[in-house]
Amino acid sequence: MEKRKTFSYSRYGYLFSIPFVVAFLIFWLYPILYTAIIGFTDLKGISATKFHFLSEPFKNFKTVLTSSSFRTALRNTVVIWIINFIPQIVFALLFTAWFTSPRCKIRGQGFFKIVFYMPNIMTAATVAVLFQALFAYPTSPMNDLLTKFGIIASPFNFEVSKTSAKLIVAFIQFWMWYGYTMIILISGVLGINPEIFEAAEIDGCTSAQTFFRITIPCLRTILLYTTITAMIGGLNMYDIPRLYLNGGPDNATLTTNVYIYNQAFAGSYLYNRAAAASMIMLIIIAVCSIAVFQMYKEKDQSKVDRKRRHLAAKKEVTE
Amino acid sequence: MKYNLSKVKRVSKPVLALMYIVCIFFAILSLLPFIVMIVNATRNTYQVQQHAFSFVPSKYLLSNLKILNSKQTFHPVRGFINSMIISSGSTICAVYFSTLTAYALVAYTWKLRGAFFSLVLAFLMIPMQVTSIGFYQMMYRIHMTNNFLPLILPAIASPSMVFFMRQYMIPSLPLEIVESARVDGCHEFRIFNQIVIPMMKPAMATQGIFSFVASWNQLFLPQILLTNKKRYTMPIMVSLLKGDIYKTEYGAVYLGLTLTILPLFVVYFLLSKYIIAGVALGGVKG
Amino acid sequence: MKKLVIALMVLALVTSAVFANGAAEAGAGKKTVLNIMSFTDEVPGMVTKYFEMHPEEAAKYEVKTTIIATTDGLYQPALDEALKAGGAEAPDIYCAESAFVLKYAQGDMADYAATYKSLGIDVDKLVKSADIAQYTIDIGSRKGELVALGYQATGGAFIYNRTAAKKAFGTDDPAVVAEKIGAGTNSWDKFFETAAEIRKKGVAIVSGDGDIWHAVENSSDKGWIVDGKLYIDPKREAFIDLSKKLKDGDFHNDTRDWQEGWFADMKQAGAKPVLGFYGPAWLINYTIGQNCGDTYGDWGVCAPNIGFFWGGTWVFANKDTKNADIVAKIIKWITLDDSDTGLQYFWANGTLNGEGGTKDCVASGTVMAKSNGELDFLKGQNMFDVFVPANQYANGKNLTQYDETINTYWRDQVRQYTAGTKTREQAIKDFKTQVADNLDVIVE
Repeated sequence: MEKRKTFSYSRYGYLFSIPFVVAFLIFWLYPILYTAIIGFTDLKGISATKFHFLSEPFKNFKTVLTSSSFRTALRNTVVIWIINFIPQIVFALLFTAWFTSPRCKIRGQGFFKIVFYMPNIMTAATVAVLFQALFAYPTSPMNDLLTKFGIIASPFNFEVSKTSAKLIVAFIQFWMWYGYTMIILISGVLGINPEIFEAAEIDGCTSAQTFFRITIPCLRTILLYTTITAMIGGLNMYDIPRLYLNGGPDNATLTTNVYIYNQAFAGSYLYNRAAAASMIMLIIIAVCSIAVFQMYKEKDQSKVDRKRRHLAAKKEVTE
Repeated sequence: MKYNLSKVKRVSKPVLALMYIVCIFFAILSLLPFIVMIVNATRNTYQVQQHAFSFVPSKYLLSNLKILNSKQTFHPVRGFINSMIISSGSTICAVYFSTLTAYALVAYTWKLRGAFFSLVLAFLMIPMQVTSIGFYQMMYRIHMTNNFLPLILPAIASPSMVFFMRQYMIPSLPLEIVESARVDGCHEFRIFNQIVIPMMKPAMATQGIFSFVASWNQLFLPQILLTNKKRYTMPIMVSLLKGDIYKTEYGAVYLGLTLTILPLFVVYFLLSKYIIAGVALGGVKG
Repeated sequence: MKKLVIALMVLALVTSAVFANGAAEAGAGKKTVLNIMSFTDEVPGMVTKYFEMHPEEAAKYEVKTTIIATTDGLYQPALDEALKAGGAEAPDIYCAESAFVLKYAQGDMADYAATYKSLGIDVDKLVKSADIAQYTIDIGSRKGELVALGYQATGGAFIYNRTAAKKAFGTDDPAVVAEKIGAGTNSWDKFFETAAEIRKKGVAIVSGDGDIWHAVENSSDKGWIVDGKLYIDPKREAFIDLSKKLKDGDFHNDTRDWQEGWFADMKQAGAKPVLGFYGPAWLINYTIGQNCGDTYGDWGVCAPNIGFFWGGTWVFANKDTKNADIVAKIIKWITLDDSDTGLQYFWANGTLNGEGGTKDCVASGTVMAKSNGELDFLKGQNMFDVFVPANQYANGKNLTQYDETINTYWRDQVRQYTAGTKTREQAIKDFKTQVADNLDVIVE
């Protein structure tokens, strides 16, 4: 990191951070602590406000961890996230490469960038209703299309098949977020010093080489940001799985957040179990995030630096 | 020496054609639901129930509008104002204070800076939904229901936006300018408001869009916190149109959804030049 | 300039956010506030009508309504919180739907309800003279004391398509159709005999298994929970076999209720023509009537083989209401008034908001007897002839407060079994797991 001139105004550093810290303490920390505490109590039932700590403190945690629904939910969350995140990052990177490469001036780029983000504008409830209609059984546009072209003989029940339900939810997630991811990645590429690309160009790198050897390593921080936020978003997937098939069929799209919601609101108001499940998820998310941080860190940082220096040196020679 | 870009080798025609095909395919995929939604706003309940997916507009736009008007709970103007207060309030809070926090992290050296930044990254991992039970009960306890503040003020602490702003600020904010302003006798807070903020505009606009959209479409918390119908937001009003599954007016629901999204379009297209131009984010670690 | 605008905006924002609460209530200074909480605008609309008819009362009260849809499961938490919090914001009158009415009448939240008697309503006399459907009383009673009543009666019948009936039986006479589906036999044997018979003529007896579910659910002897334990009533368990039989015999179009295919069958646009649907009067008005397309006027209604009810709204009064006087008047007018100016008379004849409105069945037998249930949709048949007796067969004693959730789980597993993805034993086992994992119910 370049050396930055700093000032002896350190108190402003504290001063300007105060609003963030205060808002965090009030609106985030309190609810988290409250949730954490509830996890160790017997708070359940809608009218309950008083609660007692359990004599066996981890009972709720045990109940959640041993419940097959929670384990199914956790498995589903991970599976659905992976099959949505891989194409999402691949396509986002692809479009980023196309839209930032000097080799292909795609006309109407601005239009495409604007339009790709648009699915994100639409409310999840609307998206769910439209996809329900699209994949309905026995008659729906998708079934009509597939039978017309003879791909399947009779209408397929997308809502009873567990595999198709998972795939559709993953597709909706992909479709809603690839534009967002692309915009963030483009921002990252624009932040890379253009001289590095120029040097690569003179060096005779192919576009693929430039992309994999320069763009991606330089995007490291932004990729980390994208992976972490997408992962947190993915592990908290709630809107679409709940609104599309309400966790069904046969728990195939039950995610952990839908599970938590069901515990807390869909019948018995088991706040304590919901809180325990929330805390378990918080721990899982923290562990995964740290793992991702480590993964990015361990990649050889010096390799990138060497490449950069090498290219810079080449450039000097040509000058 | 100025580098001559015109010498850059272009991709071949078939490859370029393939690129266009992929782009157009995705553009259609992304626009499809909007078209269906707008078309459905012109169809009646019967038509929507028979085929929810259609590209042929019908003639029921006015009658759907009439149905919307007859609903006690649907007041587009009031909903628009409420949604606008919440969304612009939380967006302004999020964007302004995130930039301020990022500035504190970038421009000043202070003892706890490193620790604070690590904490921000840690906060990033906290899922809002998980804490909703606690949040909801706390708001009831301090009688903040039917008040917009619980939906606006939490935005002041938006860790992911702080991170984004910081990454943008590192390469694009020349501290020399800040320093010269200081020499001119400007107060720190004034420097931030008059010099730093204008330079941050592209990043603020981009993040502003994301934050505004998310806040505008938010349903879960507003629905449990705002129970007085004078406080309803647009999405709450639309969800009420569906109220009773036995007799939902689907055409009117789609019209309501279209009306809900219109303001978002306006905001989005006003700020979209920043999406097209893109903002440069520093990839430097540290 | 721009900064000034932004500053002003922020200022306006903060002040409006902070003071909005106070401003909203400032206008209500003189009148007494009457809070009403509901999940549709039906009951609030009735209250508005009541005050229109009684301007002298309207001068004294200001009605504040809160409507929260049930669709995202948020009505109950909001209502629960409002009741618990009490004070000036607490609802004076609130409503519950059949899916969760038990919770407010007899379950966890029952203690917040005022008995109709304590409001000063002469329940015994009025119930008798209005001839209120018994099942609505059973549901709305807490330890023998009435705390809630409905205005609708939702006893179910078999609503059939006349053209399909002619194709199947050679006649569209309600008596014949009733006989063919085994009306009054209280079993499904005759129904399936007929199903097989008319399948040969290319007619599906129902649209999907959802059509028979409501009849099955409500004809069972016990509810899902007995003494805090999950109980699978033999009749409800049998639904899994009935559903399989329908699917294997190709007796239906395999649609799912409330989805496109189901609606399409209402205008006979599915794979096979459909003989009919099980449902109460509102299904005719709100659903089939809206979706029947060209088949309007080509429908009939006859007695079902199984007595059941489906849906309905119950009206409650808060035990802490400060306005017991007016609350009693409104509730009496909605649920127990059998005169020509009572709500139910307007409701039955579709005249609440002027002539030509939607006719519906009401809870009072007295009102139904003097109302006209003839519908063009039914080719002039008087639907009350069938629905009045249907209300008597309905059984209100097998509900539990978890029905909505448990039904979802059960029907999901039945669907997996009929689709052939798992065995019957596995489906029942998975169903039990789902209940045990998600609800505070003991599963053995």
